[in-house]
Amino acid sequence: MNRARTLFDWLRGRKRVVSVFTVLAVGAALAWLLSPSTPNSAKVFVPPQVKASRLTPEQYRAVIGDIFGPQIDLGGRLEPVMRVGGLLTVGASSVSVTAAGMEQFDAMAEAIADQVLLQAANRQIFLPCKPADPRKADEGCARLFLSRVGERLFRRPLSESELRTFVAAAGVASTKLGDFHAGLSMSLAAMLASPQFLFRIPVLEEDPGRSGAFRLDGYSKASRLSFFLWNTGPDPELLRAAREGELESNRGLRRQIDRMMRSPRLEEGLRAFFRDMLQFDAFETLSKDPMLFPKFSRREMADAEEQTLRTLVDHLLVRGGDYRDVFTTKQTFLTPSLAAIYQVPVAHDAPNGDIEEWVPFEFAADDPRAGILSHASFTALHSPPGRTSPTERGKAVREVLMCQTVPAPPPDVQFTVVQNTADPVHRTVRQRLLAHATVPSCAGCHRVMDPMGLALENFDGSGEFRTAENGVGIDTSGDLDGVPFTNPLELAAVVRDNPAIPSCLVKRMAAYAFGQELTQDQRVFVKDMRKLFRESGYQVPELMRAIASREEFYQAAPLRPSDEPPMRMAAIGK
Amino acid sequence: MAVRAASALAATLILCLSPTAGAAETSRSFVVSFFAQQFTNQPGDCPGGINPEDERGQISVALRTMGYGPAEVRRLMAGWDKGGEGERRVAEILERRAVINGEPVNPMTHPEAVPDPNLKFVSAQKSVGFDLDGRRTAEDFIDLRTGVAGIDNQLFRALGCNQNFRGTWTSPSAYGEWVWVQLRDSQPAWLLTITGPSSGRDGLVKVRIQRSLDRLSANMDGSPRAHSTYRLDPDPRSINEFDGVIKDGVLTISRQPKFSILWNGLSAPVLNLSDFQLRLQQDARGQWDGLIGGFQPWRELYFAFSHNGIVGDRPGLWHAMKKAADHDPDPRTGQNLGISVAYRLTAIPAFVAVADPRLRSASAKR
Repeated sequence: MNRARTLFDWLRGRKRVVSVFTVLAVGAALAWLLSPSTPNSAKVFVPPQVKASRLTPEQYRAVIGDIFGPQIDLGGRLEPVMRVGGLLTVGASSVSVTAAGMEQFDAMAEAIADQVLLQAANRQIFLPCKPADPRKADEGCARLFLSRVGERLFRRPLSESELRTFVAAAGVASTKLGDFHAGLSMSLAAMLASPQFLFRIPVLEEDPGRSGAFRLDGYSKASRLSFFLWNTGPDPELLRAAREGELESNRGLRRQIDRMMRSPRLEEGLRAFFRDMLQFDAFETLSKDPMLFPKFSRREMADAEEQTLRTLVDHLLVRGGDYRDVFTTKQTFLTPSLAAIYQVPVAHDAPNGDIEEWVPFEFAADDPRAGILSHASFTALHSPPGRTSPTERGKAVREVLMCQTVPAPPPDVQFTVVQNTADPVHRTVRQRLLAHATVPSCAGCHRVMDPMGLALENFDGSGEFRTAENGVGIDTSGDLDGVPFTNPLELAAVVRDNPAIPSCLVKRMAAYAFGQELTQDQRVFVKDMRKLFRESGYQVPELMRAIASREEFYQAAPLRPSDEPPMRMAAIGK
Repeated sequence: MAVRAASALAATLILCLSPTAGAAETSRSFVVSFFAQQFTNQPGDCPGGINPEDERGQISVALRTMGYGPAEVRRLMAGWDKGGEGERRVAEILERRAVINGEPVNPMTHPEAVPDPNLKFVSAQKSVGFDLDGRRTAEDFIDLRTGVAGIDNQLFRALGCNQNFRGTWTSPSAYGEWVWVQLRDSQPAWLLTITGPSSGRDGLVKVRIQRSLDRLSANMDGSPRAHSTYRLDPDPRSINEFDGVIKDGVLTISRQPKFSILWNGLSAPVLNLSDFQLRLQQDARGQWDGLIGGFQPWRELYFAFSHNGIVGDRPGLWHAMKKAADHDPDPRTGQNLGISVAYRLTAIPAFVAVADPRLRSASAKR
């Protein structure tokens, strides 16, 4: 018996109550990051080791919305997930939960359960039965509710022992409280605070097609597919397909993928991927000096993020465009507020005070803006609060969009020259960077980062267009890996044609889909996907379909005996 | 459907906002980012002192004007200081200071029935504004900024010695600032569209001053937001189109018979100016700054002052403006009905758009 199976059996089989009365301390990560590669010629796909991952805040919100409706107020915020390999989704596989974080989960679970079962309007929708006496326990009704809801929350049917435990807990609570619904609410809260809900825990089974190898079981397969394509848990139809074994056949799997690819929910999956890849979570902590950038308030920040996501969805999903063209497209969507930053006309064609609406917009051919690099979601997001930083912007191009790694600056580096925007001698940031880069230990990295950032200097720290800094004309010329450009439009074209751009997207999407960084052992898979992506004309939905359709996507290796799972859940249950 | 409607709107906007065909001419639009009566005071321009601006001083003057002797005024004011019955007694006297046919009337709505407190006038020779009538009189000023003589700005002469109207070029009067802050958030913005030679070049231009359906948009620090888009209000009562000229970065509109634009009850329901002129200078950021001027019906100005307490002795302002009025004599009484004024105006870059036709219809029904 391998360790992973042992672990999962323990998790599934152990009788426990995740009590709302107990402060749960989860002390360690649910990931096994540092798995050493096995010797491999790179021509054979070696399945990555299985990993559990915590629901991201977006996934948590989506799952609750799916099951109980969007009217449910989560009543709090989840602990942030750290970014690993450029993705939060990968970081979610190596995340730890602090005691305070677990308390927060617990509080949210209670808040949600109360709304579902203690508010009459919601109870009528979600409770499929009426207790014989609302002041007493009712095992039959509790069992019916908890088994249905439990399957959606745990993304698999509850085992009989699990169900018995939750039903029994509801019975005890109902009796003590003299209220069936209040007691049932406590069991629902326990489910919502359970690791089985909060963590996506894959279950392996022996792969009949590969002797001695393992694959995800049907329900884990459904979860992986659903979180990848829709960024939420499996819907009832996908759970049914898993239950009836349809996902074990290529035909059955394909039917479900086709269904999911046709669904409007694919948009949310695409948005979630790009929100993660483009690091839009940084908007939550982004700040701008209001004296220098008075237009750029929280509203414009939210609009900036949404602008890029709308542009991506429109270009990639609606129009079926080439991914590379997102760097050069003139078409986008704007609100009146955002348009004021871009200095283009978009009217608020509604009574004063109404919420602003999005309108499709196409920048003029001679407008300096094209593609997502010219969006405020890039130029403002990758700028410090009070100035621009060509280095930050260039680093983002390299790391976020090209999957390249730029070394951290030396520990003793002085940034004073670069940051002094009032320097009377070095009046433009190009001049300041040149002065700074005379330090040999700095010059090398700046050479690979700064040119792209300098080409974007026409956009100030809030993304507003400018032609001069401190009265001196801005020089936006440079090169990317030897290909020259003279302005932001030319930079966009050069970035668009750089082979690292589509290659990076495939790498990121594969890691996003698997929930972990792929290594040399999975190189052949990534290579295949790159080829398919190229042959599809760089169609992102086709790449998603290709990943979801490959059997490798559902293969996994169990933990080796030497790997100590860092999962240590103290004080779970009684 | 929503997307199609939005697309249609965007297309409309592009059509409306593209540079005029012919390439040599362009239309550039601006939104008024500050507007208030301009009072440009200088040290010593009120040698007789400032008109009492504090409430106590105003009440004392009002009582004296009504005929109360110094001792009686002192006694009444001592009671007023104590509050209670004494304060009520003074208030009652003041409320009854306007009398018509022996009956007390509201002194604010019947200021002519209140004895003239003879507010002090500005005696300076310099101010800002325009030569509205082309004539030189003893009342005219020399423009502080341009050196031009014959400047007509009798509103400044009449009110410039009242504390809340006193200001400088760089610091607006308290009254002007207060009114603007109230107006900018509540009234539709005003738009300025200049059609003519491309930006930065001299030449003849068409200037259109019009109202928007939208309020002035603001940045997060409350400052006016540049490059926002405003829908035009098609109401003909607010459309003004003039020939102008740009020379050395200064936009000038020479004397025009009439300027009229819907305003706000806090100032006046309609801003009506005759013999209208405009002079604005553009700075490096593209902002226009300068003056508009003309003769304004002073009674309309009074009723703007009459319902806010910031201006001081309101019936006194009536008498001051009445005496200083310098235009449009009533054929029956000879009393001038218009007074020369200058308003400070700044405008920042903006876009204008034609509103949704449904909104246009709604506007036209007003």
